[in-house]
Amino acid sequence: MAQYVTQILRCTVKTIASTHGKQMFNSGVSLRSKIFLSRGISTTRCMSSTERWYTDKHEWVEINGKVGTIGISHYAQDALGDVVYAQLPDVGTSISQEDECGALESVKAASELYSPVSGKVVEKNEAVESSPGLINSSCYEKGWLFKVELTNPDEIKKLMDEKTYDQFLKTDSH
Amino acid sequence: MSFVIKNGAAAARSVRLVGNLINVCGSSVRCASTQSGNDISEDAIRKSVYISQSTDIFTNLALEDWFYRNYDFADNHILLLWRNEPCVVVGRHQNPWLESNMAAIDENGISLARRNSGGGTVYHDMGNLNLSFFTPRQRYNRRYNLDVICRALYRQWGIKANVNKREDVVVDGEFKQVSGSAAKLGRPNAYHHCTLLVNVNKPNLSLALEKKEKGITTNATESVRSFVKNLTDINMHIHPDNLLSAIGWEYLRTRAVTLEDGGQDLVQQQKGFQMINPTEDWFPGITMLRDEFASWEWTFGKTPKFSVTQQLELSTIHGEVHELTLTLDIENGIVEEIKMSLPTSLKVANFREDASVVTSLKGSRYSEDTVNRVAKAIGCKKVRQLPQSMNMSNMAASQ
Repeated sequence: MAQYVTQILRCTVKTIASTHGKQMFNSGVSLRSKIFLSRGISTTRCMSSTERWYTDKHEWVEINGKVGTIGISHYAQDALGDVVYAQLPDVGTSISQEDECGALESVKAASELYSPVSGKVVEKNEAVESSPGLINSSCYEKGWLFKVELTNPDEIKKLMDEKTYDQFLKTDSH
Repeated sequence: MSFVIKNGAAAARSVRLVGNLINVCGSSVRCASTQSGNDISEDAIRKSVYISQSTDIFTNLALEDWFYRNYDFADNHILLLWRNEPCVVVGRHQNPWLESNMAAIDENGISLARRNSGGGTVYHDMGNLNLSFFTPRQRYNRRYNLDVICRALYRQWGIKANVNKREDVVVDGEFKQVSGSAAKLGRPNAYHHCTLLVNVNKPNLSLALEKKEKGITTNATESVRSFVKNLTDINMHIHPDNLLSAIGWEYLRTRAVTLEDGGQDLVQQQKGFQMINPTEDWFPGITMLRDEFASWEWTFGKTPKFSVTQQLELSTIHGEVHELTLTLDIENGIVEEIKMSLPTSLKVANFREDASVVTSLKGSRYSEDTVNRVAKAIGCKKVRQLPQSMNMSNMAASQ
């Protein structure tokens, strides 16, 4: 039963985000309350969503079926400056949400990478390993970092959708 | 749920570790909180200067890492000062075979270490002062730290040092560097550390960092070489001990976030100087961290994958000399692949151009001797010496 409920919640989150997000998300309302407000909305579109979800550490994840693609946000790449080396997790590694799983080195600083979701790494972006500058020039497309087969899809409920993330960037706390 | 448990366990560990530190150091640190950084007002932040009593590079790297992992810097910013016996320290994503003169290091008893932060390779000895500035990630401000150093040099000795575009501390205009910087940014903590050359043995520095052409291809971070200068050459009264003291006091008298002098009044409110003895009793878990920093798996095994290409000469029984290209692929410091590219004159039906050389060296740890051993195994008489690169004396790679 519990599983059923969370399934509905998960799909609902995606649905709001992909169809009604802009109208329904007002600043100051927590994500959790938004989920409850919007119960009952049709869940038919939840599978087609390619919405990006963000962490407060500025990583993003895009879910396609069971696989999440992970990268860093435009804000993060801009704050880092030119990335000169990308250390990505190896394929086959199991990682938990918020685990340190790699590092991006920009001019003189190694910045830790934290996974936004739990799962097993199924692919890493080798193009980024050989040309780390892709993270700066195309952080949402060619500059993705690695893909994870999700073990707990519900975890994305802890993350922010694009609009909430944009609001988050306007606050001081990031 | 598992997430909550994990956090709980981590917090409990912090309490234990930090509790231990309170007993010995008398510092009032809280267990790591999830909220640290901008929500603490500047006036509520206290500062401490810690001086490591160890001169072992691996112990000091472990101490630095211990603070990064376990300490809560939300309302207590730390400056850790340390010095080392002669050593070469490469950046986290660097290739030690490329960045240092391995033979000279071995001959002179210089240690080789890999640190956790980014940046390039540096040489340390007792004439070099290392400074680690710890803050929460949100308070990380490299420029602030470097400005504190410049202010100390000016207040104490009237030296006009500047921070250049690459955020190095320079004197004599833009040409002579006295400091190199690197940083590690994590959550919730971050640190910026830098070196200050006081009276470093420059011939040793040049020798240890001498760069030779070794046929290495890699995407590892490469050092940017700069001309360096000792602070004693600018003012002969400076030595590591009084520099340590001058920077410590300057740090304590400067407000925590804004670069504003608070004078003696502010110094009185700070926690002051403390000597740190980095042992297991004071810092539970530090021995394990030190062992990790001193291990082959960390120093060499963490090298980004690379390949080495060398020209070999092979003499046949007819007295002909053929040239062949040997390529080694190295991953995690281990020789994964050994390939030979044969000359066109030897391309016959039984030879593939890239013949895989199966030897017992495959799967072994790479060293500079590996090429010679492969050459010997396949019957090559000579490894051709590639031309040496230009003289880099008086230069050091900067962090």
